[in-house]
Amino acid sequence: MTVVRWSRRLVLGAMGAAALALAGTPAAEAQGLEKTSIGVLALASSGPIFIAKSKGYFEKEGLDVELKMFTSAQQVPVAVASGDVDFGVTGLTAGFYNLAAKGAVTMIAAQSRDEPGFQLSAYVATKAAHDAGLTKPADLKGKRIAITTVGSTFHYMVGLLGQKHGFTVKDVTMVAMQDVPKMVAAFKGGQVDAVIAPVTVARQLAAEGSGTIVGWVGDETPWQLGALFTSPKTVAQRRPLAEKFVGAYLTALAEYHAAFNAKDASGAVVKGPGYDELLAIIAEATKQKPEVVAAGLPYVEPKGKLLVDDIVNQVKFWQSEGQVDKALDAKSVMDLTFVK
Amino acid sequence: MRLIIKDLCHRYDDLVVLDGIDLTVQEGEVLAVIGPSGCGKSTLLGIAGGIVAPTSGTIAVAGEVPDGCLNPITFIFQDFALLPWRSVEDNLSLVLEHHPLSAAERRERIESGLRRMGLWDFRKALPKQLSGGMRQRVGIARALAVRPAMLLLDEPLSALDAQTRELLMEDFLSLWQRERTTAVYVTHNLDEALRLADRVVVLSRRPGRLREIVTIEEPRDQRLEPSAQAHLAEVRDRLWHLIRAEAQLADREIADA
Amino acid sequence: MPDTSLPMTERSAAPPQPVRFRGGGFTVKGHRWAALLAFVVLIAVWESTNRFGLVSELFLPPPSAVASALAAMAQDGSLWQHLKASLMRIGVGWVMGTVAGMAVGFAMGIGSVARAVGVPLVSAFFPIPKIALLPLFILWFGIGEPSKFATIGFGVFFPTVIATYSAIDSVPRNLIRMAQSFGLPWASILRKIVLPGALPGILAGFRITASIALILVVAAEMIGAEYGIGAFVLTAGNLMLTDQLLAGVLVLSLLGLSIGTVLSILERRLLKWR
Ligand SMILES: Nc1ncnc2c1ncn2[C@@H]1O[C@H](COP(=O)(O)OP(=O)(O)OP(=O)(O)O)[C@@H](O)[C@H]1O
Ligand SMILES: [Mg+2]
Repeated sequence: MTVVRWSRRLVLGAMGAAALALAGTPAAEAQGLEKTSIGVLALASSGPIFIAKSKGYFEKEGLDVELKMFTSAQQVPVAVASGDVDFGVTGLTAGFYNLAAKGAVTMIAAQSRDEPGFQLSAYVATKAAHDAGLTKPADLKGKRIAITTVGSTFHYMVGLLGQKHGFTVKDVTMVAMQDVPKMVAAFKGGQVDAVIAPVTVARQLAAEGSGTIVGWVGDETPWQLGALFTSPKTVAQRRPLAEKFVGAYLTALAEYHAAFNAKDASGAVVKGPGYDELLAIIAEATKQKPEVVAAGLPYVEPKGKLLVDDIVNQVKFWQSEGQVDKALDAKSVMDLTFVK
Repeated sequence: MRLIIKDLCHRYDDLVVLDGIDLTVQEGEVLAVIGPSGCGKSTLLGIAGGIVAPTSGTIAVAGEVPDGCLNPITFIFQDFALLPWRSVEDNLSLVLEHHPLSAAERRERIESGLRRMGLWDFRKALPKQLSGGMRQRVGIARALAVRPAMLLLDEPLSALDAQTRELLMEDFLSLWQRERTTAVYVTHNLDEALRLADRVVVLSRRPGRLREIVTIEEPRDQRLEPSAQAHLAEVRDRLWHLIRAEAQLADREIADA
Repeated sequence: MPDTSLPMTERSAAPPQPVRFRGGGFTVKGHRWAALLAFVVLIAVWESTNRFGLVSELFLPPPSAVASALAAMAQDGSLWQHLKASLMRIGVGWVMGTVAGMAVGFAMGIGSVARAVGVPLVSAFFPIPKIALLPLFILWFGIGEPSKFATIGFGVFFPTVIATYSAIDSVPRNLIRMAQSFGLPWASILRKIVLPGALPGILAGFRITASIALILVVAAEMIGAEYGIGAFVLTAGNLMLTDQLLAGVLVLSLLGLSIGTVLSILERRLLKWR
């Protein structure tokens, strides 16, 4: 047992002390509450968690939830696998599925989706490529595209686009730049034809005139961006805890959906009930200006349902890319008993 | 070759080291220079050899140079100054390589130098494999390889033990017996001066001034004879008397500083 | 004569005591097999922790898993592809950084103006983490090989400058004076005295810069590299394939070990005279 603990520390130590405890509930207040924790990124996509925490939905379920902030999507499932946090909520990468294949994590509810009308990630063409005729997402076939890493959500988005337009990732040249700043550097340096960039980066590139947004991933290929997950061990041994947690999460999720995902008759996104209050909560938690947060609020399914077909597609895609063990059964990475 | 030093002064920044030195080294003579520590003996030798620029004064040479002389004024160093990465013969070769010599001539100079110092069998050895005495012999052989007109020796034996010193003194004696190369020989050791020199220059404590020049009348090859001892003892006394007072004062100055 | 020692023993009542040896320890002896044995024990312990289920494979893949990941790479030929790409980058980047560093180091070792200008510049630029400059390198040199050479080259350059000029400082002045007193020309002094005299220091610098090159190849391969041990390690990390990750790290450390061995042989050859 001590050896296991030691190895956890080893792994986490290596990840750096990136995980910062955020706003732990004062001990006195937490009397009689069951302690648990969740790993999140300081992004708007973690909004429902911030709302549940801030509005006391966790406490209503009898939980004292500590939020641990991480700096990259990689780290969160690792922290769940190591037992340093009980839950996690982030985007889905090949690394996540490899951890799932080893029985370390399982999805229990949905996080955000790419959905038509919600501008989260853009296909951005360089000026030169745009001038040369790269004007719509389908034109990306045969082009050089900068992504962050192999196995990242951007990698899958390229794969999805290919599935839609009849090409494979072999038909494009993907250049792994490790992180967004280097991706942007390669883009600005004219080293690639296009990037798939988060909304803030995409808008900035367009505003500078170094690139043109030729489409949005949500409009082109809706998919299940992220999920709430935990370890199978927690499901097996502390199922009531997990159920309470999902309960509070779903309450917040519905509120989030109502406030941020409402559309008018024309299909344009409009402010729903509680918009300003919830926006302030998320802005505070992510340490961003409300305007910035408002520009990139993702869509969530109000009942927390996963796009099961897309998850299966993701697993198959990574398996076909050789990045996830072929033996992994796609259905085994999710536990659909928590969300009805 | 003669060396004429006129009104020589030298300063390192504010430190006056040599003051008003007038001195002529005669053709074929061995001139010993003694004086307290730090009085400027090495500086004087460096200036004479053209590797230290004097603050003021003039140095000149006059007279014949031997046949095949490549480097009229040649040093022999206290610490031998051998290149540790070169073998004995390559250390000699170093000082010949930049001269337009035929390969045969260069080989000949190296061989004769090494043979004279009894180093021929050690020509492939590295300096670290040799004793101190052998290393200085390499230094001497290197100097001989350029057929110098004048040797400047800066305490050449002070890093060696007493027996080795004795043996090397014999080497020097036979050298001056055969070649009569002019030499300036800086030393702390009165016995070396008495064995080797024709004249002994005594410098004062810093700033080094010329205190006295003592001539040793006895011919060099007879100085071990019983008949010579009375004169040598007298010279020794005089030198010691001169040095002693200066050395004591110099010591006190160092203690004060 | 023997009786002179007698009164001594008679005078002191105690019988003669043997002198106790007290000069032990503090000397380094060669233990040829100790290192190997330590490795074997370490690997055995590591393997058994997994076999007995003390540590999950995810957290610390056992040596057998790392070995089979390595074997798989060797079999499908990707190991050679990665090695070839990385070695080329390390080689070119290191040579560029070393040549430039030695040139500048020599200038600073010999010229007082170059030194006056160079020392503060080197002090200012040396500590900059090269990884922080990667986005700039991408803009300057693109994402092809040049930016990777530059990353390694820059990392190697500054330590080489420092090693070279301090090595030149450590060349005994008396040897230079000796050479001057025999009338050796400036260029000969540089070639025959300064360069060989500085060689030990420069070679010691190589040891450091070779390790730096190895560390930086991982950073360099963050820049859109398809092949390379560094790229492989990064991808394995991103995909949470810990056995492959360790296999890549193992290749890197073996690479370091072999470079170190080559340098040791080189030192033994070139510095026999020490
Ligand atoms: N390059 C230099 N810069 C500054 N001061 C120097 C330099 N060389 C020598 N000195 C100083 O000049 C003085 C004379 O030095 P020098 O070496 O000529 O004396 P010396 O008589 O040979 O001494 P020793 O008997 O110790 O060999 C000493 O006080 C020394 O510290
Ligand atoms: Mg001296």
